[in-house]
Amino acid sequence: MLETLAQAVINGLLIGGIYALVSIGVTLIFGVVKIVNFAQGEFVMIGMYITFFLATRFGIDPLVSLAVSIPVLFLVGMLVQHFLIRRVLGLGDMPQIFLTFALSLLLMNVALLLFTANYRTVHTGYSDESIHLGAFYVPVAKLIAFGLAMVFSGILWLFLHFTDLGKAMRAAAQNPEVAMLMGINPHRVFAVAFGAALALAGAAGSLLMPFYPASPMAGQVFVLMAFVAVVLGTLGNVTGALVASLMMGIAESLGIQFVGADSGLIVVFLMLLLTLAFRPSGLAGGRGR
Amino acid sequence: MRRVPRNWLWVGLLAAIVLMLPLVVTSRFAIDIFIRIALFAFIGVAWNLMGGYAKQLSLGHAAYFGLGAYTSTILEIRYGISPWLGMIAGGVVAMLASLPIGALCFRLRGPYFAIATIATAQVLMLLFLKFRDFAWGAEGTTIPNFGDAPLMMQFDEKSSYYFLALGLLALGVAITYRIEHSWMGYYLVAIGEDEDAAQAIGVNAPRVKRDIYMISAFLTALAGTFYVQYIYFIDPATAFSFNISVEAALVSIVGGIGTLWGPVVGTVLLETASALLQSWLGSSAGGVQLTIYSLILIAVILWRPSGLLGLFEDIYRRMVHARPARPKEALLDG
Repeated sequence: MLETLAQAVINGLLIGGIYALVSIGVTLIFGVVKIVNFAQGEFVMIGMYITFFLATRFGIDPLVSLAVSIPVLFLVGMLVQHFLIRRVLGLGDMPQIFLTFALSLLLMNVALLLFTANYRTVHTGYSDESIHLGAFYVPVAKLIAFGLAMVFSGILWLFLHFTDLGKAMRAAAQNPEVAMLMGINPHRVFAVAFGAALALAGAAGSLLMPFYPASPMAGQVFVLMAFVAVVLGTLGNVTGALVASLMMGIAESLGIQFVGADSGLIVVFLMLLLTLAFRPSGLAGGRGR
Repeated sequence: MRRVPRNWLWVGLLAAIVLMLPLVVTSRFAIDIFIRIALFAFIGVAWNLMGGYAKQLSLGHAAYFGLGAYTSTILEIRYGISPWLGMIAGGVVAMLASLPIGALCFRLRGPYFAIATIATAQVLMLLFLKFRDFAWGAEGTTIPNFGDAPLMMQFDEKSSYYFLALGLLALGVAITYRIEHSWMGYYLVAIGEDEDAAQAIGVNAPRVKRDIYMISAFLTALAGTFYVQYIYFIDPATAFSFNISVEAALVSIVGGIGTLWGPVVGTVLLETASALLQSWLGSSAGGVQLTIYSLILIAVILWRPSGLLGLFEDIYRRMVHARPARPKEALLDG
């Protein structure tokens, strides 16, 4: 019993690392650009398809294709921010919500048209490997994904705290007017923030590919998890999103283990609704909006 | 003599045309599209009461659609109660469900309100997947066919379903019209503009939001009952389909949120576009409909966020008066 519990916690923690990459992206965009990106999951999906095609056409390992998916999605992010998001900033909730929402629908359905609804998998040498630690086993592909997810999250944290651009980004998040007075160009900062968030989503896509099938709807689960994690971890808070994502991975895994295979999502949604009921400003407190 | 506003003459004329449609067009395919238009326009009208006037942008109206559908179906199959009564019961169940759901979701604003409403609809869908004994689980059930049984909301003629859907739409529009011209309507618009300011001048925002959510949920549930009676089948994926929530919001935004006729105009445009595309490309191409919908939605948001109804009104004015109404005049008229 205790072993099953510990094994479920390990599984949950590992997948929680991927949720963290997506949630950190969502919370970064929310913190800096003040937009909720409903399409974040679709960028994970794009990262997965990039990785899938590189693997099947050119035999490139998913981990190597990180070198493609990260820069491509960074660029896409800058373009999306520049040509779409910028035009609805400050226009109120409706255009802001439904622009990224429409983008999500568009990407999902274009993917459906181009690639059909079939599940696509990439099989690597380490897809079925696992390390045995005493009574537990740790799947290698998931362990690598978790490790690299933590590395990328760490790099983002260092970037935000120790580079001028990162500091400018945090300044623009705190107070855009004052940041502008200090000579920070908000549009440039917003574009980089959006790019960085999408780069994380792209990385998540590549990291998932060795053990998770790509499909047009694949991003949906991740974005829902990210929304819950971002609310739990207090909106706009990068560390909060990371911790909350790991917690949710574990909660989902326990739900699957002890309630039933299709109950993972119920547990997660109930967590969201309970959080809203009792701590609407997130577990770390702070702003409610 | 009391002057009849010219707008209402147009509405009367349009109503006459719409009522005659099944006499002129007899193709089952076409009537099916008319039914879809009337039904989704009705769902859009119900969504618009809350999402349009009060700007509480719900993406979870499928919750009430599904509750309405399941309530009437369970009452019919388990207890033999006519769906006409079941429809009302479903509306009441949805209204009651909107109370706790609203209490939770209204703690959040803007995008996070939308996300919370998505979660509630998803939780209900997942729960109904679990209710295997009581609500048939994931397999769903077909609804027994009694042939031509108007008392059980079943008809031989497709046009009867069309008139029923039109009746629902008329009900929704009438309720919206009444609310628009009451204090409630002004409160809603005030909340939609700026909730804190509305509260500051004495609008009881939580109560108004709760009330309009109940009305909106009630109407959406009626659509749910109608839909399962029309397709003779129910399962959680159909009844709580995320697409219902999406389309409810989408038709309102494309037409014009917070306007009486916006959702109707939006539905006519989107459903016609989708029907034409599907007959052109064949229904085999999955994803075509929503690709087009999302492109139209992006275009509307970027270039005409107030919706296409206003655009048509401008064009009409230009044609009739050869000049657009100046904002000042519009204010005095209103």
